[in-house]
Amino acid sequence: MRLILRRIVGQLGFEVSDAEDGRAALDLLAGMETVPNLALVDWNMPNMNGLEFVTAAREDPRLREMTLVMVTTESEQSHIVRALAAGAHEYVIKPFTSEAMIEKLALLGLVPTGANT
Amino acid sequence: MSENVTPTVDDLREIADQVWSAYLDPEGIRPFQQGESHEPAKGVSASVSLTGAWHGHVLVTCSSEAARHAAAAFLAMETEEVSDEDMTDVMGELANIVGGNVKSMLPPATLVSLPHVVNGASNRFPTTRQICELAGTWLDEPFSISMWQGRDAGVVAA
Repeated sequence: MRLILRRIVGQLGFEVSDAEDGRAALDLLAGMETVPNLALVDWNMPNMNGLEFVTAAREDPRLREMTLVMVTTESEQSHIVRALAAGAHEYVIKPFTSEAMIEKLALLGLVPTGANT
Repeated sequence: MSENVTPTVDDLREIADQVWSAYLDPEGIRPFQQGESHEPAKGVSASVSLTGAWHGHVLVTCSSEAARHAAAAFLAMETEEVSDEDMTDVMGELANIVGGNVKSMLPPATLVSLPHVVNGASNRFPTTRQICELAGTWLDEPFSISMWQGRDAGVVAA
C-alpha cells in the first residue's frame, strides 16, 4: 500500500517519505527538520497501528500542522468515528482509486481542485 | 448485520469487483473470470484472521504467475521487474483489503489480523470449514478468494 500511495502523491508533486509502521514513522518525523504537510496512515500496521500513530502524532505539538488521512479497510462507522476522534482529518477506505485519493486531498486543500484532470 | 449473517460468494464477488476496478484491472480489459475452483500447482496464498465476535479466516490464493501480474498491476511496474517481496506485499495487501471489507459485514467486535503470506504452498486452517469461495481465473491463471469459519464460532469462553 505504501508504494501505491507513494506513486499517487508523487505524481502530484509531493516529496514522499515512507515508514513501515507507526513507530518507524514517529522516529522518521523526529529526525526531520521540516514537518510534512500530509501523513497518509494505514490502520493495519505491526508494532504501532494507524490509530495509535494518529493519537501519538496529535499529542506532539510539533506535528500539529500535519494533515492526517487514515487509509483503511475499516468502513464501519464506529471505526471512522474513532479515527476522527483521535485526530485524523479524513479517511479513505480501501480499495480506492487514485482519483478518490486525489479528491480527498483536494477537499483538504492539499492539491488544487481538478488535479484529477 | 446480525451475528447470524454469513458472508456469501456474492459478497466476495462485490469486493473483488472493487479490487479489480481499483487496482488489478482499472481499464476493464483484464477481468476476473468466475469459474471452477482448482488449486494452482505452484501458488501463493495470503490470509488474514478474523477474531473476536466472529472467528475465521479470509484466504486469497493464486498461482505465482497471477501473483506476479497482481504485483505488477498494483505497483505499476513490468512483470519482469516484480520481486518475490513485491508479490508477498501485494498478496498480503489483497488479503487485508478483502478481509477488512468482509469484516464490515460481521459483528462489530471482530478484529482483523495482519496478513500472513505463504509462497509455494497453501495456508491451511485446522478446525475450520469453508463457508464460501469465489473461484475462477485471472489472465488464465487460477485465482480464488475464500472464507473459512472456525467450528467454534459463536461460542464465548469465560
